[in-house]
Amino acid sequence: MDIWKTAWRNVLRSRRRTFVTVSAMSFALWVMILYSGLVAGYLRDMEQNILDLEIGDLQVHAGDYRDDPSLYARIDDPEALMAPLRARGYRASSRLLAWGLAAGEESSAGVSFRGLDVAADADVSRIHEHVFAGSWLDPGEPHGVVIGRRLARMLGVEPGAEIVVLSQGADGATAADLFEVRGVLQSVGDATDRAGVFMTAGAFRELFVVPDGVHQIVVRRPVDAELEVAATAVAALAPGLDVQTWRDIMPTLASLLDSARGAIVAMFFIVYLAIAVLILNAMLMAVFERIRELGVLKALGVGPAGILGLMLAEAGILTAMAVVIGVALGIPTLWYLAVEGIELTGIAGMSMLGVAMDPVWRAELSLAAVFPPIGALVAIVALAVLYPSLKAAWIDPVRAIYHR
Amino acid sequence: MPPREPIVELTRVSKVYRQGKLEVYALRDLSLEIEAGEFTAVCGPSGSGKTTLLNVIGALDRPTSGTIRIEGQDLGEMGQRERSHLRRDRIGFVFQAYNLMPVLSAYENAEMVLSLQGVEPEVRRKQVMRVLTEVGLEGLEERRPDELSGGQQQRVAIARAIVSQPAVVLADEPTANLDSVTAIHLLDIMEKLYRERGVTFLFSTHDPRVMERARRLIRVVDGQIESDDRREDDRGAP
Ligand SMILES: Nc1ncnc2c1ncn2[C@@H]1O[C@H](COP(=O)(O)OP(=O)(O)O)[C@@H](O)[C@H]1O
Ligand SMILES: [Mg+2]
Repeated sequence: MDIWKTAWRNVLRSRRRTFVTVSAMSFALWVMILYSGLVAGYLRDMEQNILDLEIGDLQVHAGDYRDDPSLYARIDDPEALMAPLRARGYRASSRLLAWGLAAGEESSAGVSFRGLDVAADADVSRIHEHVFAGSWLDPGEPHGVVIGRRLARMLGVEPGAEIVVLSQGADGATAADLFEVRGVLQSVGDATDRAGVFMTAGAFRELFVVPDGVHQIVVRRPVDAELEVAATAVAALAPGLDVQTWRDIMPTLASLLDSARGAIVAMFFIVYLAIAVLILNAMLMAVFERIRELGVLKALGVGPAGILGLMLAEAGILTAMAVVIGVALGIPTLWYLAVEGIELTGIAGMSMLGVAMDPVWRAELSLAAVFPPIGALVAIVALAVLYPSLKAAWIDPVRAIYHR
Repeated sequence: MPPREPIVELTRVSKVYRQGKLEVYALRDLSLEIEAGEFTAVCGPSGSGKTTLLNVIGALDRPTSGTIRIEGQDLGEMGQRERSHLRRDRIGFVFQAYNLMPVLSAYENAEMVLSLQGVEPEVRRKQVMRVLTEVGLEGLEERRPDELSGGQQQRVAIARAIVSQPAVVLADEPTANLDSVTAIHLLDIMEKLYRERGVTFLFSTHDPRVMERARRLIRVVDGQIESDDRREDDRGAP
């Protein structure tokens, strides 16, 4: 007996049941492929935004910076690290960091100053693309600063306005100066929105009397380098320095992204549970309807393995049909959602956990988005057909043949 | 003439069904021998134990007590797997109805036991075509069971039962669902196979016109053999 031929003909014989089960499975798979692609895309964009706008992949600080983030905890020779990194395909840029006060016409606020190497920073960050009003820093205009959106609102300033900044320089004296607001950023993230004041490295050094060294080096890894591998590679080039991945820096967010990805898989099983019940029922019906046939097969000497094979082959064919249809529908839809995306412009300045989101929600079209829904479907179908198939395999031929 | 070893040998076989406190003896202390080349009918009223008898002989069911030997092998000492192989290799089955796989053609149904045995496709083809011709189904090989009459379906079942040359073909009321003309025709075919090929048949029936055709008639009542008659003209045959 040719198991596949027989199974295939059984599938064709019960056309209605085949139609119902295959449609339901295909539909569920299609929905789960879209769901998986959309959530994966959302999480990917969210992760990418944090890395692009806030922290980069890796950050390097002086060994004592984390314990005491002061003006004095500097990396003395940043080029000694950045040059070899760039030679290895990494992108890197240094930043100077300090805290202080800023005052506008209406009020003042605590702020975080960030002195950037404007040209190199564009390599590691896309924050310069996120100016809401005015323009980004210009190395030729050292007295221009770009500030966070909520800070601008708090201070009551717009591009063109002046702010007074106040802090303490490395020489111990008061650091105070007048700056012009060149630009106000879009919402990029809580910390930056509320307190970010970006200035050129030159202006920072002058204001805080820091002639050399930097506080932070932001590193972006090559696309093919795993995060942990990159961290190890960077650490090897940075003796005595403190290398952290973005996951070390934002552990809550990292674990949140991880569990959100895990939740996608959990969702498959919840949705597929309905499919499992349907399949279980369909296969039980198949066993019940054919109980005499199965009894005769056993009488003729077909063993349990043969019957099991027959039932599994039948479920396998149904599943294969559903996978073909589900994927044939799912990939083009997902492709559309990945390229065109869903417009979310109605919800302006959307942010999630202090991270700004793009106004267009794009799905991720990748094997990682498409395979798990298929794998979960196959797994759950296998579980659902096991009971009816084993029941059929161990059927007693006498009771089956004379079944009334 | 040396004594022939019986193909089927039942010694004091009982089969008891318990229904609550009630014990129903489907077979009661029954002993019986069937030799190669016999054409035997088991008759008796409904509920007398015919089906049970054929099922225990065919290793489909286990008796409550007593021993059954097929070609000398004790069925009681065999496991599920061995019994399954014995059925496949040494016993042909024809049931009253629903014999055939509805999705397979007459040819594929008849071929089934041979492919289970792993017989080479070319050998299979030759043997299947031959038996289908012998049961008068040439030209209908590709038909599905639902495209065949009841008599034709039973002929496919007989073809399937004899194609692997089993020791004995067990047929439980093979004509019960057929009209009398078709039933007699089926008997003609069985008789021809018995005479020309020496196929050993053991079939049950409660149709007097079918009983008439048997060379040996075993009458079962209440699970016991009431009479066991051999026809004169069978002596010394094949
Ligand atoms: N599975 C069963 N459970 C209980 N009693 C049964 C079962 N199968 C058969 N019997 C009983 O055994 C007796 C013989 O049945 P059966 O062999 O089918 O007789 P026949 O084939 O001659 O009609 C009957 O009394 C029947 O009711
Ligand atoms: Mg019966």
